[in-house]
Amino acid sequence: MRVEEVELPGVGHKFTIKVQSGDEIVIVVHHSGRRQVLYYEAGGGEEPAAALDLTDEEARELGAILGGVLFHPELTAAATMRVGEQAIDWIAVPPRLAGQRLADLQVPEGVHILAVCRHETLLPNPAADTRLEPGDMLVVAGPRRAVDTLRTQLKA
Amino acid sequence: MHPAILQFTLATALLALGAVLAWHLRLAPLPIYLLTGLLAAPLVNLELLQPLPDLGLLLVLFSVGLEFGPERWAALSGKAIRAGIWDALALPMGWGLGLLLGLDWRAALLLGGALYVSSSAIIARLIVDFKRAAYPESETVLGVLVFEDLVIAAVLAVTAGRAGGPALLASLVLVGAYLAGAYLAGPRLSRWLARLPSEPLLLLGAAFTVATAELFHRAGASEGIGAFLAGTVVASIGLRERLEPLLGPLRDLAAAMFFLAVGASAARLLQGIQPLAIALVPAALLVKLPLNYWSGAATGLGVRGRLLTMLYLIPRGEFTLVLGTLALQAGETLVAQTAVLLVLVSVPVGALAIQLGPRLTRRFRGRRAVPARVMSIELAGQAGRRPERFWARR
Repeated sequence: MRVEEVELPGVGHKFTIKVQSGDEIVIVVHHSGRRQVLYYEAGGGEEPAAALDLTDEEARELGAILGGVLFHPELTAAATMRVGEQAIDWIAVPPRLAGQRLADLQVPEGVHILAVCRHETLLPNPAADTRLEPGDMLVVAGPRRAVDTLRTQLKA
Repeated sequence: MHPAILQFTLATALLALGAVLAWHLRLAPLPIYLLTGLLAAPLVNLELLQPLPDLGLLLVLFSVGLEFGPERWAALSGKAIRAGIWDALALPMGWGLGLLLGLDWRAALLLGGALYVSSSAIIARLIVDFKRAAYPESETVLGVLVFEDLVIAAVLAVTAGRAGGPALLASLVLVGAYLAGAYLAGPRLSRWLARLPSEPLLLLGAAFTVATAELFHRAGASEGIGAFLAGTVVASIGLRERLEPLLGPLRDLAAAMFFLAVGASAARLLQGIQPLAIALVPAALLVKLPLNYWSGAATGLGVRGRLLTMLYLIPRGEFTLVLGTLALQAGETLVAQTAVLLVLVSVPVGALAIQLGPRLTRRFRGRRAVPARVMSIELAGQAGRRPERFWARR
């Protein structure tokens, strides 16, 4: 990938990016913060195939998404979703608990085990006698505090 | 209340009306400001509006120095310089035309400069307004403008001043002193200025610009070149990014007043206009068209890019008016009338050209000689068979 930067006096900075496929992307960052993006297809002639006009805020959001800051294509770590006082949590099972049954876990009151994530598959509504395996991840829901307690219990 | 407040109210209201109209009609606002001034000439009292219009011109020139000054020279490519040289041929042509008309060398040079220099401030703004900044011809045009502004600064230094020799010497000494000062004290000064909050910086910037202009005026040189130099110095000590957004809104307000004032004073100046001045305007516009077509060619643009370069460089503005004012002070009414009329005509024509140009030149779109993409797909399980080819046509 090759990036060229040119100053446009009185306007801003222009970046020309040539990507692997031969397509070309031209980005102008205006002094006002506005961004202009032109997309030229390889062999497509002098006319851009697409033109974008973004405000400063939109451009930053787009940049964050492209950079993988906002959205994780893969679940790389435990994540928590909170809705009011309730929470849904993904908790990794420590190796020391492998072989135990779900019923043996000391789950705080109010917490439900919704599913077990095992090797890319989801086992919904696991039975109480489901045995845990190394690398499993629990999907749990319940009051925020109780979920947090479970998380620290499993970590310890 | 001071009567100036009423004048200010009237002027801003008229300009706002014009700006709203321009926005509705999808036109550029600057030519509308000129037109507003021309129509409202009997209503506005320019004396009472001062110093806003004069300040507007000084701040525009300061911005031009800041953005298009010698600081940008380092970034100019060889191609851009060749384009600038093609474009600059308009200056000797205009000069020669002036000499042929029987003007003295100084008046002829003022005429040549007025015909030659396109408006960096107006063109940069139109390119942004009509969303053309990312296209290749804009890079050429902005490079040419950097070249033009330096040439015209030299022309101003040579022609300015009522007294001739001493004034020229004074302006050269002043320019030298400013540049030397910026070079020697620059690093220390910029470290101190970098710590300042925005408000003192804004006031300092305004005071510095106006003081430099006043100093040049007192020395018998052109105040315009003083403001331009102030911008250059500020850019050289690395304050461009901070001062540009600070002074921007003030400059835009004052510049709108300036264009209103140009329109209003043009109504007076153009009464009893000489037919020769009217004839010089289309001559000036036509002289630059082929030169700028070659400028476009020098930077490797296709036919369409060259035509657009030609159209973009039509508007004349701040420097043409500065040269016209100098000519008026020297009693050269013909040059002054030509300059004002040229701005009055070229700004709306140029704004329309930049707006409609991309659509009008569409049939000159280049077709790059690249074959359509060829995809070859080997079908699994059919080994031995020739791979099938699909030609992706667009």
